[in-house]
Amino acid sequence: MEKSLFRYIWTHSRRDQLIVCAVVLASLPFYFMSLDLPRQIVNQAIQGEAFRDGNATAPFLHLSYQWPKWLGGGTLEIFEGFQVGRLGLLFGLSTLFLFFVVVNGAFKYWINVAKGILGERMLRRMRFDLFSMVLRFTPDALRTVKSSETATIIKDEVEPIGGFIGDAFITPIFLGMQAITALVFIMIQNVWLGLIALAVIAVQFTIIPRLRRELLRLGKQRQLESRQLAGRIAEVQDGIEVVHVHNAYNWERAEIGHRLFNLFSVRLKIYNRKFFVKSLNNFLAQLTPFFFYAIGGYFALRGTLDIGQLVAVIGAYRELPPPLKELIDWDQQRLDVQVKYDQVTQHFAEERLAPLHEPREAAEEDVPLTGPLMAEDIRVAGIHGDMIIEGGAFTVDLPASIALISNGGAAAGMLARIIARRTSEFSGRIRIGERDLMQLPVSVVGRRIAYAGVDPILFPGSIRDNLIYGLRSKPLGRIEEEKREMDRRIAEAIRTGNPIESIADQWVDYERIGARDENDLDRILLDLLDRIGMGDTIYLFGLAGRIDPERHMALAERVVEARHRLRETFQSNGMADLVEPFDPERYNSQATIAENLLFGVPISDEFKGRNLAENGQFRSAIDRAGLTDDLVRMGLQIAETMTEIFEGLPPGHSLFEQFSFIGAEELSEFAAILRRHARGEGNLKREDRTRLLALPLAYIEARHRLGLLDDRLMARIVEARGRVREVLAKSASEGVEFYDPEHFCAAAPLRDNLLFGRVSYQVANARVRVTEAVATVVRELDLLEDIERIGLDYQVGTAGRLLSPQERASVNLVRCLVKRPDILVIDGAFAPFDEARSQQMLELLLELLDQQSLFMVLPNDRQAGTFDVQLRFRDGQIITEKTAAPALRSARPEPDAAQRVAGEVA
Amino acid sequence: MTLETEVQSLRQVPMFRDVDPARLKLLAFTSERVQFSGGQRFFSQGDPSDAAYVILDGRANVLLNTPGGDIQVAELGSNALVGEMGILSDTPRSATIMAAEPTTALRIDKRVFLELLAQFPQMSLAIMRELAKRLERTNAQLVAQSSS
Repeated sequence: MEKSLFRYIWTHSRRDQLIVCAVVLASLPFYFMSLDLPRQIVNQAIQGEAFRDGNATAPFLHLSYQWPKWLGGGTLEIFEGFQVGRLGLLFGLSTLFLFFVVVNGAFKYWINVAKGILGERMLRRMRFDLFSMVLRFTPDALRTVKSSETATIIKDEVEPIGGFIGDAFITPIFLGMQAITALVFIMIQNVWLGLIALAVIAVQFTIIPRLRRELLRLGKQRQLESRQLAGRIAEVQDGIEVVHVHNAYNWERAEIGHRLFNLFSVRLKIYNRKFFVKSLNNFLAQLTPFFFYAIGGYFALRGTLDIGQLVAVIGAYRELPPPLKELIDWDQQRLDVQVKYDQVTQHFAEERLAPLHEPREAAEEDVPLTGPLMAEDIRVAGIHGDMIIEGGAFTVDLPASIALISNGGAAAGMLARIIARRTSEFSGRIRIGERDLMQLPVSVVGRRIAYAGVDPILFPGSIRDNLIYGLRSKPLGRIEEEKREMDRRIAEAIRTGNPIESIADQWVDYERIGARDENDLDRILLDLLDRIGMGDTIYLFGLAGRIDPERHMALAERVVEARHRLRETFQSNGMADLVEPFDPERYNSQATIAENLLFGVPISDEFKGRNLAENGQFRSAIDRAGLTDDLVRMGLQIAETMTEIFEGLPPGHSLFEQFSFIGAEELSEFAAILRRHARGEGNLKREDRTRLLALPLAYIEARHRLGLLDDRLMARIVEARGRVREVLAKSASEGVEFYDPEHFCAAAPLRDNLLFGRVSYQVANARVRVTEAVATVVRELDLLEDIERIGLDYQVGTAGRLLSPQERASVNLVRCLVKRPDILVIDGAFAPFDEARSQQMLELLLELLDQQSLFMVLPNDRQAGTFDVQLRFRDGQIITEKTAAPALRSARPEPDAAQRVAGEVA
Repeated sequence: MTLETEVQSLRQVPMFRDVDPARLKLLAFTSERVQFSGGQRFFSQGDPSDAAYVILDGRANVLLNTPGGDIQVAELGSNALVGEMGILSDTPRSATIMAAEPTTALRIDKRVFLELLAQFPQMSLAIMRELAKRLERTNAQLVAQSSS
């Protein structure tokens, strides 16, 4: 990026700046006219100066131009004007005034909008430029740069710069011209007074910036400190586990407190200084009139200065301070923003960035990376200057499977990273066939080489999104979008140096992986996940997933069909008591009272959990059904039991969370409610009743067994369902989706839609047997793939935290496999798996990568026998050893008998 | 059958006889009441010990797996506690328990049970007392056997 902010602004917004500037200039005559008109209205129309000579009419809109004397003088008549009477002139001039007001307003509006848009465009460009630089950070820089700091820079720190850009050139020109006009006017009236004004301005313009220099230093400090604060907060949150483990709350609290104090101190200094400078500035501005009054008055008394002139000068001076003050403010803002810009550019300093990759992909031939791989004279230095690999060399024929057997040091991992093109910090040459590995364009590397390291990096989104991340190198087809909107989007992108591709386009390269369409791709993904051992997990994710029945109409219908089949299976196999189905006419004793009352799934939060007790519609429905008192009574009984049996457990005990209706912190509050109730029914407050009412809503008779429900009450609750439905329907509330045995319930997960009931709490082992039965029906009705496909929609969460480490590693591997790389490099990606599982995975990889190459770092040679070639690292050298008969790849042409090829010794 | 009746059953179990009623209620509340059909197993010999059971209603057989097939060594009736040794000693099941008829039992989860013991020393003491008595009985039986 340019070193100077102004150069950056000028380079990228010259045209717009000039246009706005021109419009500002064009608006000035109108502005002055509107200033002059009131005088004309008063003097000419009202006081009648235009009719002084006894004229009955006066010209209106008379336009003429007085040639200057040095051009010979004389008057050029442009328009003689209309001859109008006094009233006509008054209304004419007034209308003209209104016209100018409108025109000025229009100008002002346009200029503000144009300046705003200009600023926003530049802000977009700047943010995008900065983000592009984030992608270019060198590994070295990444060791020191904190991501959260970069985020605050791109989000917050450039914001004021964007706001300033619209004013960068226009404001000084505009205000400067105003100030100069006023100054020239004063000069013309009286040179000495003019010089005094000039002298004071000169003082203002020298002293104030000097005083502000300190302010800038402080501003810089403030910016750095707040950036570090953001970084530190993110660090603490990312490392929160360590804080918990080592009980470092106090330390972290003190640390942040200290930072906030420093920040406060800096801001306090800025505050003091800023207002000191401001008052000094005001004082200097007021000093000039003092001189005018004192010295001008003195001249006037002496008779050397006309009093009219003095009044005119003072009048003109009144016009001078506002633009001057604004100009000084602008200057302050300029310096401020320049400092911010400098700080930003320092963060993205050139030495932290990798060189820009030229987009010359089209010319590159994209042929498989096979043939002899020759590495010569590889040297890698460690962080401390020691040599990890010193003159290593080896040759292998690709495709092949190569084990990089670690000697406990960093050599194997380094070589893996070099082959995967993850690092360029080595010397030596690696060629594949005729091509230099290091010279391959990034597009080819991205397509033909995959690397799976220890840390599987996942982005928030669905499992599918993560799996196909490697297939999105460029958009291959356009999704139809509205033409006008698209043109606008593209035009803006071009104007601001942003990419014109839309993320709505079709980015996924189906052809490359041999898929016909989306469904085919899903099938490939599911097959890989299944083989890698994640099939069951995906199935479970699918069962827990929800679908939109509008979009997946066929599936929704089949799920309802499966629901019926499942019921039949239960009936015929004597498993009827395992699941209690949702029946509109019967109470479901395995479900909560809330669920029995709603007979549906809450969609909006106000119908979920305890909120239901506060929901007006729900309350009025159960009021009408006459259930409120019963529920409150049940609430009392629950509260009594809970306070009795959970008393004495320390707050925060896991049993509370797992079993109690009442949180530990609420126990005493409910005890107080119970005491109030004991003094008499009437003592219960309205809020007390609401809180009590909330308790039985979560009550499940079969599970909690407090004996609160009898048949009569159950019947009344079933009856009340109709009321609830009625009330909700009347208010057109979208808060609950009701159960219907014949229809899919979009708000409930697939599992609940299949079961359409609750698994019994009372029958031993019910859950396991139901799960098996569901799986059988799913298989029979051929629903497995559809459900697994829903499982691909499972959200992995921030950094994949909603997945287990094994699942993360599996997703990472499948992401590598699905793009069918010519070379797959694996370094520690099996770490979360035990030995048996990782052996299975290895066999799977060797099978899948039959025609491709696999480089894998191994901690020891226990698994090395299955690889074609084994590379060992000893004293900085690489020793190649061909496996006589690889355990699995017997179909391959027999490699030469085991022979040792020592690397060239440096 | 409600929580109260379960608490009554628990009170009949020697190991819980001295435990505070409120604690027994907590134990009952945190347990699950499950039904086994006749012939269904509570657990099988060699399974990991994850819960203890109190039979509330019905009968269950204790079976030992021998090379000659399963042999029945005892029958358990109402208010019998079974499986508690496994969860205390953290060893696999030493026998198979099979319901002899439709049987209702209270399933006390191992984790919850241990947590209650850790929380309420009075409960632990009651358990220890019962274990000590059992040991005494076993010793007495041994003495009787060796002298005979």
